[in-house]
Amino acid sequence: MKDNIYLPSIATVKEVRPETPDISTFVVTFDESELRESFTYRPGQFAELSIFGVGECPIGIASSPTAEGLLEFCVRAVGTVSNAIHDLEVGDKLGVRGPLGNSWPTKEIEGKDLLFIGGGIGLPPLRSLIRYVLDKRDRYGAVQIVYGARSPQDLVYKEELREWDECPDVDLHVTVDVGDETWEGPVGFVPPFLKEINPAPENKVAFTCGPPIMIKLVVDALGEMGYADANIITTLEMKMKCGVGKCGRCNIGDKYICRDGPVFSFEQLRKIPGALEV
Amino acid sequence: MEKKKITKADVTRWLDQIAEKYELIGPTEDEDVVQFRPVNSGAELTLDYANSLIPPKSLFFPQVEGLFSFQKRGKEIELEEAGPLERDRVVVGIRKCDVESLSLLDRVFLDDVEDALYKERRERTALIALACPTPPRASCFCTSFGIDPLSPKGSDILLTDVGEVYLVDVVTEKGEQLVAVAESLFSKVTEKEAQDLQPPPVEMPELDLSELREKLETLWEDGYWEKLSLPCLGCGICTYVCPTCHCFDISDVGSETDGVRYRCWDSCMYNDFALMTSGVNPRPTKRERIRNRYFHKFSAFPSRYGTNYACVGCARCLVHCPGGVEITEVIKDILAKEGVSEG
Amino acid sequence: MQDKLREIVRKMLSDGDIEYFVGYCQGSEAHRIVPCFVTEESEVEKLVWGPLCLQNLSKYVLRTRDLDGKVGVLVKGCDARALVELIKQHQLERDDFVVVGVACEGQVDPRKLERELGVPLEQVGGIEDGGDEFLVHVGEETRKVAKEAVLRDKCFFCKHPPSFDCDYTVGEPEPFTIESDRSEFAGVEELEELPLEERRAFWRKQFERCIRCNACREVCYACYCTECLFDRNVPRWLDRPPLLEENEIYHLIRAVHLAGRCIDCGECERVCPVGIPLSRLYKKVQKDIAELFDYQAGMELETVPPLVNFDLDDQDPFL
Repeated sequence: MKDNIYLPSIATVKEVRPETPDISTFVVTFDESELRESFTYRPGQFAELSIFGVGECPIGIASSPTAEGLLEFCVRAVGTVSNAIHDLEVGDKLGVRGPLGNSWPTKEIEGKDLLFIGGGIGLPPLRSLIRYVLDKRDRYGAVQIVYGARSPQDLVYKEELREWDECPDVDLHVTVDVGDETWEGPVGFVPPFLKEINPAPENKVAFTCGPPIMIKLVVDALGEMGYADANIITTLEMKMKCGVGKCGRCNIGDKYICRDGPVFSFEQLRKIPGALEV
Repeated sequence: MEKKKITKADVTRWLDQIAEKYELIGPTEDEDVVQFRPVNSGAELTLDYANSLIPPKSLFFPQVEGLFSFQKRGKEIELEEAGPLERDRVVVGIRKCDVESLSLLDRVFLDDVEDALYKERRERTALIALACPTPPRASCFCTSFGIDPLSPKGSDILLTDVGEVYLVDVVTEKGEQLVAVAESLFSKVTEKEAQDLQPPPVEMPELDLSELREKLETLWEDGYWEKLSLPCLGCGICTYVCPTCHCFDISDVGSETDGVRYRCWDSCMYNDFALMTSGVNPRPTKRERIRNRYFHKFSAFPSRYGTNYACVGCARCLVHCPGGVEITEVIKDILAKEGVSEG
Repeated sequence: MQDKLREIVRKMLSDGDIEYFVGYCQGSEAHRIVPCFVTEESEVEKLVWGPLCLQNLSKYVLRTRDLDGKVGVLVKGCDARALVELIKQHQLERDDFVVVGVACEGQVDPRKLERELGVPLEQVGGIEDGGDEFLVHVGEETRKVAKEAVLRDKCFFCKHPPSFDCDYTVGEPEPFTIESDRSEFAGVEELEELPLEERRAFWRKQFERCIRCNACREVCYACYCTECLFDRNVPRWLDRPPLLEENEIYHLIRAVHLAGRCIDCGECERVCPVGIPLSRLYKKVQKDIAELFDYQAGMELETVPPLVNFDLDDQDPFL
């Protein structure tokens, strides 16, 4: 990071992969070769992406640091900046400021079985950890992924889901809220789907990310299934601006989501007044 | 800490000399409103005043500040930062409450991720504080926070008005350098003389805040906040005139080919402050926002930074609130609460 | 009068006619009166009335729209004009709230009082109405101050909405009159006589001091849009920094949006922390509307605001 903590570094778009009608993955590399080599981050961190003249928006780094020299961001076109990012083509440049925030607890979960529960655009932040775990497979126990989206079209990382489905080492379950003619898999919302699968809590850590209502119902379900709050980990979405714990925007209680988070366990969140009202 | 004295007439001469070497900033009055502005001579200052409207935090954390400029030519993007301050600065006439607020803001801007813009301003600015008169403004309550309006702590020089002259406390090396600018205008003061001239401690109604945080933290779900939010207009004046408020927005202005990214003051009291693009708002009504303000000042800030409360008792918010929300009354209400109630 | 007011409110609360009453009560300093919301009979004692009850409480009736239960409000005649407009502009239904009208003999402008007394406001212990004068308690003494010297500007031209009926009254509310040779639009005419460049320079100097705290907008009864145009991000009309050009646009647009709706309550100028003489700007708009459409906001319940109406006989010298 530079002296001016608000100054982004310039990066170039190397690849654009449309995932769904309104979500695309952007693969970028830093222009400065020194930075390309030295830039490090941990799974779960995010960066502020700049379209100069439009603004910045915080996006989770969806690649794992085990993939060197590049960064992947999965962006949904919903606001002014994200829509401007969607106008980028291969060869265009943007600003990247990061890595920011804390990260998934990769050390603490070694040797444990891992359960990932994602909804819609909630899969990319989980993916950074999933890829990391799969790249360091022998450090971790069983890997189970439960994922759902509004419709088959809205599933993110369709290629990767196929890959994980075929991987004997990964137990993948995918559902959609509403099916279509091509869809042969399960239909239904993620929380009841999860209850049907009923993964056992012993020696397991659950990671969840998705729309607030889904997280709430998933956490309730996990509680019913016997998961302790300390073993349910999520990444919070908040409006952010500076990303470095100064502008007050992402402040909840005495925490800055951009510094103390966005990754929190539910045990931590229950202690922060106002955190679970989000 | 050696004491000196200087006559009122000579203070102006000294400040004139300072203005030649430094950027001199102090309180000036324009149509009944006192603000800190850069001046070219001591005579432009008004040192006979209560306090400024906008606190001098604006000199370290300006209301608008460019972060960098950007230029796009073809696909290439170039970013350019602003240069350093042209001159070192001297702020004269700052009150102890505002000096104290800077120590609190230091914890935010100079934590383990340092804000270089704030840092430069802080390091290259000397503070000549002005002791508060007796009696102080009726709304002031800084002593409730353990602040002594006559203390030189935190400033480089403290001036105390004792009638014909100012007593001069030189605290730091920076302070010594400033005195050296016009050394002959100052005369020595013996310990006894200093003691005789020193005004008595400033007295003001004091609140016992030792239990404030503990009490407040039990009141998250209390109906009090709904009631308190009724007269609040959500205008944001309280945050703009508060010396410890530090929320800001970052935005781009210009076009995609030529422009500036800047930051400017923002207010947590505005509805869209924490509003996410998805439409979710963690503090959707005035009740949540006004509760958040008081929790931030009296619970979250001390908890995060290990400081005393993030309020210095200047009462600017109280004086200027159009809805009549009075921080001293809120504090008293909190302290008087016996457990959570409907409101 | 305070006793009568408290009696009325106490009865309304105990009869269950209202859940909330919006009135004035004493702030932490003698010269500061603040709005308060009374919900229990035990709180009724807090209600006060006097020449420093400056706020236009009509704005708070809008605030209570989201709450359960009927609201009662204390209004001076000038403030009742806001209620008339809110009803006409379909923001309130007359039956949704209870109005207590209070007789007012003129209000004090605190800035003028401070200048007249030559002492800081904090030394004022209280103010009473004394007919042609205000009785101002300063320390141990009681000073008699001629009303003309310290009245709010709008009080010289007091207007009550003739067709608006209060549910209760305290005293006999009538428009306040005072002998004076001021003319209502003197401040505006003075500026109108200046050449354009000087007029512009006057306002630029004022708008340079604006810190864009938005207090003028938040205190205004007519600014009730759930999303103000200045807060919109898409399209972004204004940025947040208080740059002169942007401040000018903010104030000019707001003045135009208030055309035909401004009731001259003076709250915008009163709350402005830097003391911009906003009423001179809004009086200009009132003057133009009066000349073009022979209309004053907040007076008649039956008339339609001119800028949401058209008449084939409308003058249109600006086209």
